[in-house]
Amino acid sequence: MPEIKPDPRQPIYLMLRMKPPWVFIDEIRRFVESFCACACDVAANRESQLALAVHELMQNAVPFSHDEEVDLVLEVDPDADRVEVAVTNRCTEAEFQSLKERIERMNSEPDALRHYLAEMTTTPATVRGGLGLARVRFEAQLELSLSRLGGRVTVHASGALRAPALKVPGGAHV
Amino acid sequence: MSELPVPSNPFQVADDKYSALLASDVQGPRVVFRGTISTVNPAVILNPFVDAVHGELAKLGQKRIRVDLRELEFCNSSGFKSFIHWIERIGSLPEAKRYSLHFVSNPARKWQRTSLLALSCYGVNSVSME
Repeated sequence: MPEIKPDPRQPIYLMLRMKPPWVFIDEIRRFVESFCACACDVAANRESQLALAVHELMQNAVPFSHDEEVDLVLEVDPDADRVEVAVTNRCTEAEFQSLKERIERMNSEPDALRHYLAEMTTTPATVRGGLGLARVRFEAQLELSLSRLGGRVTVHASGALRAPALKVPGGAHV
Repeated sequence: MSELPVPSNPFQVADDKYSALLASDVQGPRVVFRGTISTVNPAVILNPFVDAVHGELAKLGQKRIRVDLRELEFCNSSGFKSFIHWIERIGSLPEAKRYSLHFVSNPARKWQRTSLLALSCYGVNSVSME
């Protein structure tokens, strides 16, 4: 008797466009967490990690949005075991180059925790920003990349939907 | 007529969506954070609070303080820097005067465990959690 394979599941999308985005960030984080908990068969903690990533990427985007819309796309593909958060905003050439350098510097360190700890040491406590991308990479277990189209930049954070338990040297994990 | 100065308590701060205060009970001093820390630059409010609490604890010679996050819904990376600032203040004390931060987390707020895991790697000797 032939083996019956389950029908492949379609990827699940969430798309939001916000203007002004700042006031909605807390509400969007809560919504994304609920959305992921309901719509995805994810491991414990994953919906919380994805909500954290959405919050941090949106918070990064807002100061550079130049009063234009910020777009959020969340794509969950259970069969491919993949998730991606993409946040798009307008940016100048200088802002794009600065962000590109930051992400290249971050990705040049293969150990996400080591980079995160280095950012904690070097990012001034009284200056806004600087830690969010490193936090997304380590705590949400997502790799970051950039793309640009027509004066708008997109930060992509992608990784496994069923991410392993987060571990640190010494054996502690969650 | 000039306004009278408003009395302020450095051990208690609040913004629209969050608050922090230094309390005390039978188990000793406890710092309680409540709400959602998600403003652009919370360090403006939280760092002076951390500095005041740190000064008080160092003066009292405390060895351990509980940091209660059970009612903290979320903390963005800008707010997270205030905990890093706190660990750095502890590290700047002479070794004999240093105290530790014992974080009490809420299992329902799953981000707390991952963030505290990272923070415990940063403050290896000054951070513990439950």
